[in-house]
Amino acid sequence: MALTLLIICHFFTGYGLLRLLRIAHKPLVLLPLAFLSGIAVDSFLPFLLQLCHCPLYPATVFGSLGLVVLLLNIGGLRLIPAGGRTRRQSLTLKSVLSPIRIRSYEYPSLLLLSFLVFVSVWRCYYLPPTSRDALSGPEAIAEYAVREHTIVNSFFTVDLSTTNNHFKSPFLISLQVIYKMAGLPFGQVWLSIIFVSFTWLLYQLLKLTLHPILAGLLLLLMTMAPELYAYSFMILYDYSNMVFFFLGVYFLFRSDGTGGPPDGLRAPASGDASAGRDSEFFFGAFMMGVSTYIRSETLVLAAFFLPLIVRKDWRNKTPLGGMVRRGVLFLLPSLVAYFLTTWLYINYYLPVRYDIGNLANPHLFQLGALYHVYADMVTELVTSAWSIHLWGYFIILWAAVILADVLVGRRLSRPARDWLYAVGVVFFGLGLLSHIFPLMEVALTIKRGFFKILPSMLFCLANSQLLIKLSTRISQWEEGRDGAITTPGFSGDKPRSSWDSEPPAL
Amino acid sequence: MKRLLLTIISTSILLLLLAFSNYRNWFLDKPLDYWYSFCTEVRHPASLEEVRRIRYGLPYTLSKKIQEAVKAGHLHDPVFLFEPNSFYHDSLHIDLHMPEPAVFYYFTGLQGVWMNSPTVQKANYLVMIRKGEMKIEHIRTPRQLQEILTRYRSFTPIL
Repeated sequence: MALTLLIICHFFTGYGLLRLLRIAHKPLVLLPLAFLSGIAVDSFLPFLLQLCHCPLYPATVFGSLGLVVLLLNIGGLRLIPAGGRTRRQSLTLKSVLSPIRIRSYEYPSLLLLSFLVFVSVWRCYYLPPTSRDALSGPEAIAEYAVREHTIVNSFFTVDLSTTNNHFKSPFLISLQVIYKMAGLPFGQVWLSIIFVSFTWLLYQLLKLTLHPILAGLLLLLMTMAPELYAYSFMILYDYSNMVFFFLGVYFLFRSDGTGGPPDGLRAPASGDASAGRDSEFFFGAFMMGVSTYIRSETLVLAAFFLPLIVRKDWRNKTPLGGMVRRGVLFLLPSLVAYFLTTWLYINYYLPVRYDIGNLANPHLFQLGALYHVYADMVTELVTSAWSIHLWGYFIILWAAVILADVLVGRRLSRPARDWLYAVGVVFFGLGLLSHIFPLMEVALTIKRGFFKILPSMLFCLANSQLLIKLSTRISQWEEGRDGAITTPGFSGDKPRSSWDSEPPAL
Repeated sequence: MKRLLLTIISTSILLLLLAFSNYRNWFLDKPLDYWYSFCTEVRHPASLEEVRRIRYGLPYTLSKKIQEAVKAGHLHDPVFLFEPNSFYHDSLHIDLHMPEPAVFYYFTGLQGVWMNSPTVQKANYLVMIRKGEMKIEHIRTPRQLQEILTRYRSFTPIL
């Protein structure tokens, strides 16, 4: 019962946020997006309560969850234009279920995916593995926070010289507190909600450009990356960090007209098109901020997207002031998240001190060492036999398809180039971070940081000219048509779905 | 008919994928094994304490034994000093990992220290594992504590 209420609460929190920001997409995308956004917002609440020195009782925690649902949805309702000038739509069960048309050839992939998801969810609920990193930090803090009603609890009286895990982001602590207070002794189930929503979301997005057979197969290949799958039911920061990083990048690209569905699928906005794109830009920035809240070093990766933003603005002849504004707005949520979790939380809230400066490499300009980090990343995480145990054949497939795209098609599509840029940001950004902070070892932290590269690779594949052509051929053959498909909508989605132009309302 | 053909192709690709050595091994060792566990777990659900014992393993069991000893012996404000894990590994040749103080506190709510902890002087009980038996020795004087620290000096505390 409590879990059901929490799930509903996450949904309405996320739904309110999507409405508030006027994020438009098809219902089958908005639904998982609402859950993900809801969890993201709710993960701040116990932490913010504590920053305001408000004790963590079920009344305060669940009261704040309820209050946020109300505030976000009241704000959303006010956005509905008066007089019905904009056709009001409902995210009802019917509107969500009506576009679901599963064709027989989708079942094999979907059944296997469902099996993997089921096993993961059960594992997460019943026999959750807990890493040492969680046990010696966030999980223990959350456990005692529930008993003692504060994050600064008796755990901090223990000898903590063997660990620095208590300095990690309060994201995990907050969600564990919520779920433990709801009566789940291991918490954790929020991770399953993230996993299920993300898998669902990816499948729906992939189907916008690829034939469902290819979409299912590619998603399976990513889900079956053994290391990634393991973290779908073991709480730590990296899986969630990957999900919100992906959403940040996706909506950044989508706000520029790439990364999302092909242009043909993007219906012209009924109102102000640029306002819609701005909303997506803000939402992307917010998601990147959530990702930074989860792992503070994501701030560096977010900053790497500034050149891309500037380049696109330059091409669109945006004035200099506009470029600076967009750059600052994109980084702002990440800067705020970094300020809250690293500066305020560690320096002024926690009762123990942590000198991050001491962890930095004193020989930053020895570029030979940086080269060795990148070499280690390639040899250990990409080309070694171990890498197959980590990622299966997903990275090899990605490399082969992108290479074939370049050799056969002579060029990559614009969305594929953008996603390739995202792959580069993660790879070079993580290497740089490992060079700056040698504690970020390639075999441990960087390996988990590599999760972020996988969805970007997946969307490179989703925008591969070869795979799109193959999808088109299959669809033409299947439907017995000869003409070229200009607006692929392989899932039976209506390309001009009104969901693409207007936010849904209850 | 075309969709049936596509379904057959889709199924064949997946079967081929799962026949690949690494995917096959992974699928048998992880998801399928978890599925078999699920079938058992649903028929015979474990108690919360059993789940914890399964999940956290020997360190948890040992920690709970210490907690029971504290209750049985009415020990007041105990601070347990653990032998270094390298001692078990290098000297006794057993694969045993006593939990670090933070994890021990999570398991039991009791304070523990390692030989190199800054607060090692607070230790008033030594936990020893010998021939599968756990012994708790009272540390009565600072001199006794110093002797213990000297005895284990060559073993670096490790996780």
